[in-house]
Amino acid sequence: MEIDASALETTPVPRQPNAVARAAIAVVVALVASLFLLFVLAPVVGLVASGGGRGLSILGRDAELRASLALTAITATIATTLGVLGGTPIAYLLARRDFPGRSIVAAAMELPLVIPHPVAGIALLLVLGRASPVGRALYEAGLRVAGSSTGIVCAMLFVSAPLYVSAAREAFARVDARYESVARTLGDDVWRAFRRVTLPLAGRGLTAAAVVMWARAVSEFGAIVILTYNPKVASVLSYDRFTSFGLNEALPVAAVLVIFALVPLAALRALRRESK
Amino acid sequence: MISLQLVNSKAGAFRLSDITFDVPQGSYGVVIGPAGSGKTTLLETIAGVVKTTSGRIMLGGEDLTSAPPERRRLGIVYQHAFLFPHLSVQENVAYGSLSESIAADVADRFGVADLFGRPVGSLSGGERQLVAIARALARRPEVLLLDEPFSALDPRTRSFARRQLRALYYERHFTVLQVTHDFSEAGMLGDIAIMLDKGRVLQKGTPEEVFRKPASPYIADFLGAENVFAGTARPIKAEPPDWLESSSDQVTEMPVAFTTGALTFYALGDVVSGPAHAVIRAEEVSLSAEPSTSSMQNQFRGRITEIVPAGALTKITVDASGTPIISAVTARSVRELSLGVGKDVVAGFKATAIHIC
Repeated sequence: MEIDASALETTPVPRQPNAVARAAIAVVVALVASLFLLFVLAPVVGLVASGGGRGLSILGRDAELRASLALTAITATIATTLGVLGGTPIAYLLARRDFPGRSIVAAAMELPLVIPHPVAGIALLLVLGRASPVGRALYEAGLRVAGSSTGIVCAMLFVSAPLYVSAAREAFARVDARYESVARTLGDDVWRAFRRVTLPLAGRGLTAAAVVMWARAVSEFGAIVILTYNPKVASVLSYDRFTSFGLNEALPVAAVLVIFALVPLAALRALRRESK
Repeated sequence: MISLQLVNSKAGAFRLSDITFDVPQGSYGVVIGPAGSGKTTLLETIAGVVKTTSGRIMLGGEDLTSAPPERRRLGIVYQHAFLFPHLSVQENVAYGSLSESIAADVADRFGVADLFGRPVGSLSGGERQLVAIARALARRPEVLLLDEPFSALDPRTRSFARRQLRALYYERHFTVLQVTHDFSEAGMLGDIAIMLDKGRVLQKGTPEEVFRKPASPYIADFLGAENVFAGTARPIKAEPPDWLESSSDQVTEMPVAFTTGALTFYALGDVVSGPAHAVIRAEEVSLSAEPSTSSMQNQFRGRITEIVPAGALTKITVDASGTPIISAVTARSVRELSLGVGKDVVAGFKATAIHIC
């Protein structure tokens, strides 16, 4: 093959940044990333360092703190269970099926993510409070929502279920639908194919989604404080101690709550490591 | 048997339109077509995993148009195996099997019984495909749908898998519909070939028929016909030529003059005057130093412009009055005739070798 030498001479060669410039860019990027990491970590580490030890030591004698942690764990678990039961079919349908109103369902599932959480609490109070027909009917049936553990579960479910649906939808979408097609031709009906193939293949993703939902429910404050101030979950208790007694008293409670929230985070990391 | 009557279906934005064909009980049908022509969607529509929007699907004589996949008594093997990764090889083969002994027998035939204890993730591409075929057959389907199942296999494994499948097919008399883009595979395996493009059936018939008499220049081109000429056809006689032996399937074909560029071919066809295409397979074009005295009706002197070795044959392009004619000859012929670029030769082919479409 002949090469036109004149073309080579006249073709402009794109300028490559030299080694010094590349090193300078790397340093700047690393610096910005480190500052951001510090911004996220510093308050959390500072909180645990200053109040963690004291918080753990008062756990034994602070009955209110122990009760609030137990209440938080129980209500978050109930909310997560309800979220998994109700959210899994919705997530599956959104991942697999094209149906009329699909985009409306998808948008409705994302709605609680964009509403400020105190506003979500007000909305829930409007629908489930005793002044509303639904709340009154529930109250007359013996189920009090506002100012009870049920209210806490409702608030947690409302704000954290969309995270589960979104992550579960991704988990289902990652499982190729042709696995189900093959299972169907091998004799499975829809439910059996879902149970024997889809669910095991999406299992890790669904578990991770449930962990994220539980963690989000544990850390919820805005919606709960509107709907149910008492009994107090851990986040409301730390706020209450801060407004009533100041930073020094709130610190141990807040630190224990952070340590409490680290449990699902660690579980999630372990789950991801295992799936690799 | 598989019988589709005016079947329409939709998968995402893709549509299958008015698909009609029959694959009789115990026959081997082959679907051919370019990528994106709807071959996989067709299999999935027959399997019931893609919904039929209109038309009728009969399997084994029963109308199963709206039956769920699990009621259709069929098996499907995809190009990418889709073995269940959370199950062992043994569990995969036995997944839908009617009994453990059937699963073990099929696994043995396809040489995957030795892989039973292994996790799916440790299998090679070829092993996966063999397990997928065994899994589908372990259910004893009446209809087997194969979506390019041999494309990922090395030649030795491919030959083994085809042989075993063929043996089971003869033994059990199930009906097969296989998707392939390799026409030689279609010719080797199929009783019936269905040419698909853009979600429509373009042509159906025996592989020989589709290969020799493509319904359009597009099909001829897709099937690798080397000589496809655009020109004008003109019937020149209202009765079959006296040199044509009378037989029931040839009496409708009349002598036709086909003009392309400066050349006029003499062919046979049931055509009216007007624009048409002539298709001639390269193997049908012979080369000689001088015009032949045989019954060959079309002989054109020209000059060799290109010689390309193509496996067992060599493809030689002859420029005949500005029209390139490609011939496929053996290496021995190349040597005996001392063929080389620039040499003058005579390219000849019979009237019956030309297909007008």
